[in-house]
Amino acid sequence: MKQSPQDKNLEAMLRSGKLAAGGFMGSDLRSSAEVISADAAALNALGYTAVQVAARMQELRDLARPWMGNWVQASAVLRVKSEDYKGFIVCPWPHAGRYEKRITTAERLDTGQSVSWTDLNIHLILEHGFFEGRDAFFRIDPEQFIKVVF
Amino acid sequence: MAELFISVLVISGIAAGLALLLVLSEKTFQNYGPCKIVINDKKELTVEGGKSLLASLKAEKIFLPSACGGRGTCGVCKCKVLDGAGPLLPTETPFLNPQEQKDNIRLSCQVKVKKGLSIEIPAALFDIRLYQARFAEATNLTYDTKRFRFQLVEPATMNFTAGHYVQIACPVYKKGIEEVSRAYSIASDPKDNRFIDLIVRRVPNGICTTWMFDYLKAGDAVELVGPYGEFRLSDTQSPMVFIAGGSGMAPFVSILHQMRNVGSTRKAEYFFGGNGVRDLYLHEQMAEFEKNLSAFKFVPVVCKPSPEDNWQGQTGLVTDAVRKNFTDLSGHEGYLCGSPGMIDASIKVLIGLGMSEKNIYYDKFS
Amino acid sequence: MILFPSGSISSEVWLAVVTCFAAVFTQNILLSYFLGMCSFVAVSKEIKTAVGLGAAVVLVMTCTTVLNWMAYWWVLVPLKLEFYQFILFIIIIAAFVQFLEMVLDRYSPSLYLALGIFLPLITVNCAILGAVLWMVIRGYSLIVSTGFGFGCGVGWMMAIVAMAGIRQRLDESKIPAGLRGPAITLIIAGIMALAFVGFTGVLQ
Repeated sequence: MKQSPQDKNLEAMLRSGKLAAGGFMGSDLRSSAEVISADAAALNALGYTAVQVAARMQELRDLARPWMGNWVQASAVLRVKSEDYKGFIVCPWPHAGRYEKRITTAERLDTGQSVSWTDLNIHLILEHGFFEGRDAFFRIDPEQFIKVVF
Repeated sequence: MAELFISVLVISGIAAGLALLLVLSEKTFQNYGPCKIVINDKKELTVEGGKSLLASLKAEKIFLPSACGGRGTCGVCKCKVLDGAGPLLPTETPFLNPQEQKDNIRLSCQVKVKKGLSIEIPAALFDIRLYQARFAEATNLTYDTKRFRFQLVEPATMNFTAGHYVQIACPVYKKGIEEVSRAYSIASDPKDNRFIDLIVRRVPNGICTTWMFDYLKAGDAVELVGPYGEFRLSDTQSPMVFIAGGSGMAPFVSILHQMRNVGSTRKAEYFFGGNGVRDLYLHEQMAEFEKNLSAFKFVPVVCKPSPEDNWQGQTGLVTDAVRKNFTDLSGHEGYLCGSPGMIDASIKVLIGLGMSEKNIYYDKFS
Repeated sequence: MILFPSGSISSEVWLAVVTCFAAVFTQNILLSYFLGMCSFVAVSKEIKTAVGLGAAVVLVMTCTTVLNWMAYWWVLVPLKLEFYQFILFIIIIAAFVQFLEMVLDRYSPSLYLALGIFLPLITVNCAILGAVLWMVIRGYSLIVSTGFGFGCGVGWMMAIVAMAGIRQRLDESKIPAGLRGPAITLIIAGIMALAFVGFTGVLQ
């Protein structure tokens, strides 16, 4: 299918290692639009929206942030920690904005499952509905995320 | 038979003729000829037109800072172009806010040198050079932090001020990686100017840290550009509070060396925070500094020590420790280095204790 | 073919003007014959880029029509190689577009970036080849071909600029999600084509 030059640039940026090691798509061969719609459908089936997911990510991050990498109780069964590193990363979409390299991890104390996300993940999900490709390093799996965090 | 011959000849002839025409036009159009770049109204350079401003300046040994190597993805290579840059390109607008656009700030990696340009750059950039170095050795400091020593080859010495940083060029070391450059504060003694020490903390799935920790071998050739930065001790004699965490100790090691070299008697208290005892390092080095510098005190702070560590020092978040140790910091200066979160939290605490904002110095690298 | 089949330069020029007018209005290459639709649908979002692309197409169409006329009547016909016309026309169009790309990159980089891939895509824009082939089929003379090429180009440009104007206005309208983008553009193109049918019979 013929793509506009902007779409071509976006796909190239998502797959390149310029911003993140291994790119944002991993070895996923689908286009970013397909990934976004597949995840949106999965979210819909679970009864949540991307905005809700991003808001919850932000809420937990802001809770853990002042503790600079130490675990803090978010609820009786959930604990979170937020670790940040020097430097910044930019979004693969062509707009301004730098994101700090912060990784927030949430762990369920009852099931032992955990899920991690970066500040950039929050932006990608909120503004672009993008959960990253199938085996990208920081892919957020909607089902796994909702099970742990909601 | 002759028809076949003629027809093939005619078409090939026309195609070849057109191709030749295109090659000639390309040479004419892409040849911008020599272009003059005037820097800060004083220095004049003549460069071959057609390359980006960033690349043209780099070829003339003027290194504008860049985190992505000129690919238009980081927005760090901003430069004031007074004249000759042409209209603003769509690849630049995402990185320039309206005020910057009004001030003629451009992304030097996107501006093509086609005719004479007049630009303005900070004078300090003239001292920045490209250094060929060799990786000498790495020392484990903690489970995720190492000190890397690079022996300078050409030029063989780097004159830097304690607090400066260098940009290291990370090559393509495996599939899926592209060249990037990353900034790290120099952790070595400015007196020992034949090598550069960097303290680096591993970033999960980090592009450059993975290379340095897992792929770099002794003797590998490495490129460093520097020294950059405005983080350094002030010229006053005010008492100082240092706050750092993680790899943020790097510039302070250099600063403390420098203080020892000049026999400084300036009061300094250094709060280094770690989540566990395993996050602390360079205890002996700090003890030695305490011995040599009469007014220096090292205060390691562990947030959650486990009983087996038998930790005797201060506990809690490093910012809480600062709050506990001081009541009034209005006459002090603050120096911060570490992750953005730690710096933000520290600034809040220092201001809350009365420190004036203009007396707080930090390198956030963001 | 002799250069002035109808006898004098002035009657040739008049014929060229009439052909040009016809190519713009009554036989608009895009709205009456639906040639050149892909770039039309894709680049008609903004008036500025539409004008840029339209101008590029006018230039390419006029120049390649002339060049191809000369290549056909002065090279292919004397050598009895008319069957080569498709290949030769495409080669000439491609070379010319490549040349235009270099000129734009040098003198108007913002337009070059804005057009992006649609600049080299002018090469395979069926409107260009269509105009050239018609010129051959209808046996136009050189001056009339120039007018015809120019008219087709202007007609195409007019259609894309009009579409861009309409689409910019549509930004504020509530279009159903499924129709946004190419779908509504095609519907609008159809309505514009209907409007242009009204021009039939203007020229005899």
